[in-house]
Amino acid sequence: MHRFITPLLLPLLMLVPGLAGSEDRAGDPQAGQVRFMRVGCYECHGTVGQGGAGMRLVPLPLPWIGFQIYVRRPGGQMPAYSDKVLGDADLADIYAYLKSIPEGPRAKDIALIEDAADK
Amino acid sequence: MVDVLKSLEFDYVCANPGSSFRGLHESLVNYGGNSRPELITCCHEESSVAMAHGYAKIEGKPLLVMAHGTVGLQHASMAIYNAYADRVPVYILLGNIQDATWRRGDVEWAHSVQDAASMVRDYIKWDDNPVSLAHFAESAVRAYKAALTPPYEPVVIVADAVLQEEPISEQDRRSARIPRLAIPTPPAGDSGAVLEAARLLVNAEHPLIICGRSARTPAGIDLVVELAETLQAPVQDRHFRMNFPTRHPLAGGSIGEADVILALEVGDLWMATHAQTPVNRLGMDSKPLTKAGAKLISIFSGDLYGKSNYQDFGRYCEIDLSIAADAEATLPALIEACKRLLTTGRRQLLKQRGGMLADAAKRRRAADLELAAAGWDASPISTARVTLELWNQIKHEDWSLVSETFPFFSGWPLRLWDMTKAYHYIGGHGAYGIGYGAPAAVGAALANRRHGRLTVNIQCDGDLNYAPAVLWTAAHHRIPILNIMHNNRAYHQELMFLTDMAARANRGIDTARIGTGIDDPNIDYATLAKAYGVFSIGPISDPKELAPAIKRAIEVVKRGEPALVDVITQPR
Repeated sequence: MHRFITPLLLPLLMLVPGLAGSEDRAGDPQAGQVRFMRVGCYECHGTVGQGGAGMRLVPLPLPWIGFQIYVRRPGGQMPAYSDKVLGDADLADIYAYLKSIPEGPRAKDIALIEDAADK
Repeated sequence: MVDVLKSLEFDYVCANPGSSFRGLHESLVNYGGNSRPELITCCHEESSVAMAHGYAKIEGKPLLVMAHGTVGLQHASMAIYNAYADRVPVYILLGNIQDATWRRGDVEWAHSVQDAASMVRDYIKWDDNPVSLAHFAESAVRAYKAALTPPYEPVVIVADAVLQEEPISEQDRRSARIPRLAIPTPPAGDSGAVLEAARLLVNAEHPLIICGRSARTPAGIDLVVELAETLQAPVQDRHFRMNFPTRHPLAGGSIGEADVILALEVGDLWMATHAQTPVNRLGMDSKPLTKAGAKLISIFSGDLYGKSNYQDFGRYCEIDLSIAADAEATLPALIEACKRLLTTGRRQLLKQRGGMLADAAKRRRAADLELAAAGWDASPISTARVTLELWNQIKHEDWSLVSETFPFFSGWPLRLWDMTKAYHYIGGHGAYGIGYGAPAAVGAALANRRHGRLTVNIQCDGDLNYAPAVLWTAAHHRIPILNIMHNNRAYHQELMFLTDMAARANRGIDTARIGTGIDDPNIDYATLAKAYGVFSIGPISDPKELAPAIKRAIEVVKRGEPALVDVITQPR
């Protein structure tokens, strides 16, 4: 079973009036990292949000409200996490964790990837 | 019996020793000289069959397996089902004592059976229970022929203990002969149907080729390439075999855009062309991924042969032109028909299409490379980084990747490595029976050894734990193989399913590791490998330590020995 978030839904959420410019909700990145692991986000998105069975989350393409809407009612093969099992405060911590992860080097800055591009 | 088996030119016989075939075992070693076939000592019958499975996908011919007709076959049965679903020939000899008056003691009663093959008859092509040496000779040759007639499948012959152990009578000795083997030529498609397929493909605006197990031999890859280039049509490889070069500019394509789809040995064509409700949603709905009016052509040898009980055949697919034939045998005629139908003007249009597809392939590759950089320095180590660290050290070798990498390893080797040859990738389980990976890899490495190839196995941790002693088999028989552990410390697919189920039930989303985690304590695979006599390094969780570890392990493998690097990896 292959699981993917419907890629089209994320840009669509960005178009919802008021979402693109909305304020990010404050959260605790350290608590968010623990929660990210405990509730299984890492299973599909990797421990640092690099992607895997699910899409890459760093850099996170959504503001807080769009992120919240998506987690509650996702498209594709991602399970819906209701506020009963993952409250807004915990979700805000996860959001803060994802926002805190540095993007890391680009492909062009990594010799092994550059080499693989040619051979 | 040994003379008959030697006539079939088996290189090896994999077996965990068993009293019901002790006579044949002794004869193979002492009368047969332990050569062609040479005994390979296995520690589990599932490993024997899975080794034969991996071996056949590299060497293109069966390897002999011996097992008890009772307890041995019970151990072997899942691996036989994998081979059956993967359309791979495996030749299995079962020991049995048919005559009740010949059974010595309770062990031999417990190890005797009235109809040994019955428990696996649903997923083998043919079996027999010969009662004389002449009968054995005919059935042994017939079984080999059946196994190697497409679609390839496992076969079983029961070797009765009395036939194995009692002297050959003078009368039998005088009349004994070995039947001549003739492998049937694979069936090619009906000429009219092939011409109709060519017309549809040549006139299509957006043709698409989907490959399942289309390259039955190495020549099959060249034929798919020739057809794709003739039509300038994209190829989606479902990677059950190495069907199409991974970096070919025509690799890719979209089912949704296609107006004519040619499926070559695609057993799961309905699944390839439909979307279903995800597992975490209630209900079941499906919709075609194809656009309205798209024509489906299938060339599939599975249409010539099938069974009902096990449901690996998938959902019924509505096909516009269904050609019951072997795809590889049909491709030469299809290619020639397409070439004859192509006009100069049409060729010019196709060239433009090919250019656009090549551009799309370049963009996709650039996106994959960018995605590979994500989490580059992470610990646990990203599967993309493991893939590229490996590639950097094998790309100038004659290498062979013998493990399934999709979905377990996010398919990274398929996305990043330059795969062109049949032995660069051999697909996976067939029936998704876990426990296939390690022994199939060792079997494939056994076949690669003769060719001097560097065998690479990306080994899932859950899979290795079914029958890890195959590592000892590799060490004992000096089978060179580089094992890179994909140690994500979980039955990860099931872990994701459990999370799905909990979220769907709206409860307990933090309990999914119960029953799915492989931790507390963590398994030390390097120590496990050492116990079996295999050189090992690890666990490695710092990505900077990976390259030197791989380098050291490759040095060992190049000396003709197995090696294992335990890598603590990201989930996927």
